[in-house]
Amino acid sequence: MSPVTLALVATLAPAVAAVLLLVVSPLRHRGAPAAWLTLAATVTSLGAAIALLVARLGGAPDARATTSWIEQAGRPLAEVGVLIDGVSLVMLLIVCLVALCVQLFSVAYMHDEPPKAFGRYFALHALFLFSMNVVVVSPNLLQLFFGWELVGLSSYLLIGFYFARPSAAQAAVKAFWMTKLADMGFLFGLLVLFVSTGSFEWTSAPSAAVATWVTGLLFVAVVGKSAQFPLHVWLPDAMEGPTPVSALLHAATMVAAGVFLVVRADPLFALAPGTREVMLWVGSVTAVFAAGLALVQRDLKKVLAFSTCSQLGYMVAALGAGQAFAGFFHLGTHAFFKALLFLAAGSVIHAVHSNAIDDMGGLRKKLPLTTGAFVIGALSLAGVPGFAGFFSKDLVLSSLEGKASWVPWAMLLFAAFLTAFYMGRVVIKVFWGEPGARAEHAHEGNLAMTGPLVVLAVPSLASGVLGGWLATQTSAEYHLHLGLTPVLATVMSLAGLGAAVVVFGRGGKAPLTAVLERLDTFSLVDRAWAGGYRLGLLGVSALAGWVDRYLIDGLMNFAGWAALEGGTSARRLQTGLVRDYALMVVVGVLALVLIGVLR
Amino acid sequence: MSALLQLFALDLAVAASACVVLALDAFARLPGRVVGWLTAALLGSVLVATFFVDGTGVAPHGVYEAGAWTLFFKRLFLAAGILAVLGSIDWLEERTPHRQAEYYALMLFSLTGMMLLPGARDWVLLLVSFELMGVPLYALAAWAKTDGPADEPKLGPEAGLKLFVTGVASSAFTLFGLALVIGETGSTALSALPASLSLLHSTGMLMVIAGLGFKLGAVPFHMWVPDTYQGAPTPFVAFLSVAPKAGGLAAYSVVMLSGWAQHHAVWMPALAVLAVASMVVGNVFALPQLDVRRLLGFSGVAQIGYVLLAVRANSAEGVAMALFFIATYVFTNLGAFLVVHAAARQSGGYELSKLAGLSRRSPWLGAALLVFLLSLAGIPFVVGFWAKLFVFLAAWRAGLSGLVVVGVVVAVLGLFYYLSVARSTFMAEGASSQPVKAGFPLTVSIVVCLVAVVGLGLWPRPLVDEATKAASAFMPKH
Repeated sequence: MSPVTLALVATLAPAVAAVLLLVVSPLRHRGAPAAWLTLAATVTSLGAAIALLVARLGGAPDARATTSWIEQAGRPLAEVGVLIDGVSLVMLLIVCLVALCVQLFSVAYMHDEPPKAFGRYFALHALFLFSMNVVVVSPNLLQLFFGWELVGLSSYLLIGFYFARPSAAQAAVKAFWMTKLADMGFLFGLLVLFVSTGSFEWTSAPSAAVATWVTGLLFVAVVGKSAQFPLHVWLPDAMEGPTPVSALLHAATMVAAGVFLVVRADPLFALAPGTREVMLWVGSVTAVFAAGLALVQRDLKKVLAFSTCSQLGYMVAALGAGQAFAGFFHLGTHAFFKALLFLAAGSVIHAVHSNAIDDMGGLRKKLPLTTGAFVIGALSLAGVPGFAGFFSKDLVLSSLEGKASWVPWAMLLFAAFLTAFYMGRVVIKVFWGEPGARAEHAHEGNLAMTGPLVVLAVPSLASGVLGGWLATQTSAEYHLHLGLTPVLATVMSLAGLGAAVVVFGRGGKAPLTAVLERLDTFSLVDRAWAGGYRLGLLGVSALAGWVDRYLIDGLMNFAGWAALEGGTSARRLQTGLVRDYALMVVVGVLALVLIGVLR
Repeated sequence: MSALLQLFALDLAVAASACVVLALDAFARLPGRVVGWLTAALLGSVLVATFFVDGTGVAPHGVYEAGAWTLFFKRLFLAAGILAVLGSIDWLEERTPHRQAEYYALMLFSLTGMMLLPGARDWVLLLVSFELMGVPLYALAAWAKTDGPADEPKLGPEAGLKLFVTGVASSAFTLFGLALVIGETGSTALSALPASLSLLHSTGMLMVIAGLGFKLGAVPFHMWVPDTYQGAPTPFVAFLSVAPKAGGLAAYSVVMLSGWAQHHAVWMPALAVLAVASMVVGNVFALPQLDVRRLLGFSGVAQIGYVLLAVRANSAEGVAMALFFIATYVFTNLGAFLVVHAAARQSGGYELSKLAGLSRRSPWLGAALLVFLLSLAGIPFVVGFWAKLFVFLAAWRAGLSGLVVVGVVVAVLGLFYYLSVARSTFMAEGASSQPVKAGFPLTVSIVVCLVAVVGLGLWPRPLVDEATKAASAFMPKH
């Protein structure tokens, strides 16, 4: 099959599953068939992606095929299609592989759900995979925006999966609002791009000013999707969704879509140094800030959520430094080890029926395989040499050398220390130490649960060595060099782990815990948004409501009172209200005529 | 004579359907819902006939021109009519077991007026069709005149009266303006204006614009919208909120883009004012609404602002995008109102709080409402995104970047109130746990809207092509 056909198969197989599950409700309501169908679709997608990889290793060139989505005056206004090059192929492989692992894990994890909910869960997974693949293979920004909104919708539905819980519904709505607000930037950016270039391609811009406008607006959407400061607040709340969903959407793939967008639109960003400067700082601040908050979370999933924010900050900083490849490489390794961490966390949560770290403890004997998987993920995340995370994090740090008088570089080195420190804390508290109250009856899950852990552990360990290959596929430059940065990064990660052993091994608390906890519970950013919402939007709303209700009703009441005083027993509709309306028409006409004539 | 008959065949068929429905009901005493199904079937066959009857041509003296442009509107009106009739059947049978034929016949007469409107090129024909479209709506708005709690003033007559009084005031302005225009030029042809205009001319023109703006519900002629939507029967409001607006768009386009094409300096500023005022007022005033019908009313005002923006662009592209916009709006808003109607029939109220828990009680209706709201908000993968994008692009290309910025900014406000409706269906525990049962015809209607909104969202090309064809037939010189 040709690469284009394979790409179409990879994209559309989950769509077929999703539509079937939507339309043929018995399939969905009986639960198990839905899981089989979705898994089959995902396997098909993965198979197609692997076939694409084989073809590419055999020397197949980039493939691109589009058809006109809309035509105007005989030429396409917008196109829809597929683009398979190094970046999209690698992303496709990552997405499909992680999705397969997560879905397999879910079969065991969601086993106790009623059949209808089980079916709905897998139908949504199929919808998500389709949407994500639309993003990945899209040849232009318009199609990317389509997929972008579709993944947003599936994210909303999956966060709100346990919608009977008010907190879950609230989290879903919050995530939707936050990201939709940011997406207005995408829409604006597309408008500016199309008006100035006549297309939705990401390849070029007529001037630096246009590029700065477009990329700046696109970056607003990236901040929302990839949970960067100050729009990150939805991501920790999104942990209300089922844990495998957090692994797939809110760690490995969907939140990385923002980074993917920037990698894709790199030619535009290259023309906009101003936007890159902002990205550099936003990424660095997010990396440190979120790592600090990860240190004091009591909920296992929230540690990982803040960690995801922080790691996405690394990627954004690298993109801001103009090293798209470094960001993309970190995206890839992070997808594996963070999915692994989330699934291992899911295995723990499944065993102890609680998210709270304090309920866990001493689990390494009861859950040896999970412990191994989690530790591999943690070491990779901490950037211990040899693990996948080390290579990509090193590349990110190296790309920052000398940028903005080394400040972002120093911030990210510090964040590397914090990362190792908070992961050390979690590993020690969950798997070592005294068994917690709920740890007694913990046991490993079945093969559907442990299998994906093993599969994901392999790339979490080893995918770092693929950097050179990845670089040739994406025509970037990559050399592993021994310099100041890797040495310092190693020192930082080992120091973080050591400090964690010293501090938490004896049941101590991190320094500044009180301050950070205060910061976390006070949640300044959340409050700022809520305050802005109340003051701005509700203010406008209240004013409009006042005019609508009080002013107009007041007129009506006055007229009614006057009519009654006048001795008639007129009803509401015979009062002046409609006269007021007619008066409004008169005033409107006069105003319009005046505007027109006196113009 | 036969050529003339062929030219008006579709319009006459709708008028004849109205007579058939009335006569059959009077003499054959048909059981309740049969009349509704019959009306839908008659409209359906006219819709099918639009694909076979060649109605292209020009009437004597150029008073009427039919082609791709009129065909686009006729199909749209017929589709809206069918969907609204299907949505009304169950409710009407319960509300008014007898004399149902009047309801459907009034709707058909209104449709006849709409069908004639886009082809009219003469003031007399234009005005008569405009009033033929409008007058039956007054009666329909007051249809449920005895509904509501016994001790409260009835909303039905109030809704009808408000529509009537503001409508009549607007008609008076249109006529007065026309008296000035025609009095100065001495001809009832739309394009009879001389090259240089007197002050009376332009005053008359602006009064006509204001008078016609009433049906569109453009600010400041929107005051009737929320109150009428609140008091009139919801399945009828579903129709009122879309079809007469499309009719208003047809009238606006015919008058300004065709009749007064060379005098755009007079009407373009007025239209820009109406567009901005509608976008801003509609979106801002929708925010505090707690009644879904009022909220959708103000939202409709805002949507019309976007349409006017496209008309103001004064280009074939702009008209095409306005057509696309209004066509998608017909399906989206009709669908939204019908879902609200179905939900309210069960829960007994239209407050946002009464929608609570809808998606748990009836996941399908909840999902349908979410889709319609997303489309109104302009989110991709549903058709509303294309509609907004196209309108903004057309306006921007016409040099209206300032207006586009205003439009996008207030569209962000739209996100909040649309999603707050979605939130109440999705989140809170409802007062009732009864699933909502939508009857068969209502379900058909909602499903058709849903398929159109999602289908055209993924593949908008057929509708874009049709709209472009209609627009270039209408404005060939550009």
